[in-house]
Amino acid sequence: MASGSLLQALVDELGRLPGIGPKSAQRIAFHLLKVADEDARRLADAIVDVKERVTLCSRCFNVAEGELCDICSDTRRDGSVLCVVEDPRDVAALEKTQEFRGRYHVLHGALNPIEGVGPDQLRVRELLSRLDDEGVTEVILCTNPNLEGEATAMYLARLLKPLGTRVTRLASGLPVGGDLEYADELTLGRALEGRREVDA
Amino acid sequence: MSVTRLWLTDFRCFTEAVFEPDPEGLTVLRGENGAGKTSVLEAVGWLATQRSFRGAPRDVVVRGRADRAVVRAETLQGTRQQLVEAEIPRDRTGRIQVNRQPVRRRVQLAETLRVSVFSPEDLVVVQGGPGGRREYLDDILVARHPRDEALVGEVERVLRQRAALLHQAGGRHVPEVLSTLDVWDSRLASAGEALAAARAELVDALRPFVVQAHGRLAGADAPEGNGESGGVELAYRRSWTGPLADALADARQDDLRRQATSVGPHRDELELTLAGRPARSQASQGEQRSVALSLRLAAHQLATEEQGVAPVLLLDDVFSELDARRAEALVAQLPAGQVLLTTAVDPPAVVAPDRVVDVQGGRLVPAGGPR
Repeated sequence: MASGSLLQALVDELGRLPGIGPKSAQRIAFHLLKVADEDARRLADAIVDVKERVTLCSRCFNVAEGELCDICSDTRRDGSVLCVVEDPRDVAALEKTQEFRGRYHVLHGALNPIEGVGPDQLRVRELLSRLDDEGVTEVILCTNPNLEGEATAMYLARLLKPLGTRVTRLASGLPVGGDLEYADELTLGRALEGRREVDA
Repeated sequence: MSVTRLWLTDFRCFTEAVFEPDPEGLTVLRGENGAGKTSVLEAVGWLATQRSFRGAPRDVVVRGRADRAVVRAETLQGTRQQLVEAEIPRDRTGRIQVNRQPVRRRVQLAETLRVSVFSPEDLVVVQGGPGGRREYLDDILVARHPRDEALVGEVERVLRQRAALLHQAGGRHVPEVLSTLDVWDSRLASAGEALAAARAELVDALRPFVVQAHGRLAGADAPEGNGESGGVELAYRRSWTGPLADALADARQDDLRRQATSVGPHRDELELTLAGRPARSQASQGEQRSVALSLRLAAHQLATEEQGVAPVLLLDDVFSELDARRAEALVAQLPAGQVLLTTAVDPPAVVAPDRVVDVQGGRLVPAGGPR
């Protein structure tokens, strides 16, 4: 075990981070003891900076370093298509595809009565007001393909469709470059359900 | 499908033990009550399902103060020999490996080892409330098809979400609650219809096997009884009529008031009748045992027919449950395949085990090979 209360405090703090167990926490703490002062300080500064300067975008609720996030302030993005996601990490994932040129709306969760999450706890009202303000013509529901994500998508679809907006849902299917034999039965079943005509 | 060798380490009362059942026929585990006979079957069951058919949690199956139990089995299917290993730590979820590789999907394990279990507790399927009968059906569904496993899980989860929402509403008609209730109802309607259909289809598939198994067991009932032990009949009764979505809408006022979901697959019933009378309330204890055993044998035979291979049949303490006539009728109709059977009493004379193993004080002693 680590000795000394200062070191122990660091181990404890690291151990609270997601995915880091007591052993890893200890290893990281001892590593930080060994590295050059400036390296450790850079890490500390990065943490402080993030906490002080990163906020939520006032429009889409993605992480931002100012009033608006990079995507909302980018005038080249297509404001008529909105991708609705549960979490800022989902924005990052979709951005990596480089396929989507529209903007995002981050709900910060999914409907989950057990956890006490209803529409009021999500950024739903803000989403509705954006439709008018920004001339949105299509909303893509990109919530997770689990029960809560699907319920949220269904809830939003029922809310948005009567307003005349085009509402689409992310398709379920197979990982590209993978082998059929390794796909799990549920995904394969969904992919079969959502099959498409081949253009020839 | 069979277990050719089983190793137990710190499992229940066994420090270290090796069990070598007959690979194709009937192996009898003989011993006094509390000697650990059932624990051997439990270990085989654990490898196949990662849980105890006695409902015991992990820290109960780990021996004394040991911090983990290990169960390992060599299995044989056709000519294919495999090694299944379960590590059961006292304080966290265990691991399961096939041929030293972690098992990622249950299907993979099902190809290696499947079991059918009959234990004295099965009587509650007939005697107890409808929940036990639904569980009987769902367990078979889950073992049969991964899609049905997801379906059972989804229905459970939607019901919990809906219950939480009804509870939050507290009997008031809050618009926000009502609009999200629509969504959960719609999920429940589709998943619930699908689950009820799957269960009803399963009941149809089981019926001929249940009737056949019961006919043979109950044939043994007749001489002792009053001759009324007529045919068994099973029927799946939904708790609603018409589309489930409509039934949920009709029940909504009530549901909001009672803060409970009153229609759906969680309120359905597997109805069991004997000569037209409900088996739960109007059958003798002996008749109920025959029905319970018939349900298990039917599931076993359905699995054998569908998979083309018989699961390992685990019969726990059946002879204390059945009188000599029924026991003989059971043994006479044991399906082909490996059977592991425990008994504290001397088995009926008609039983001709291929191997007998004596269980005493945490030790397994072969009793002189075939008789």
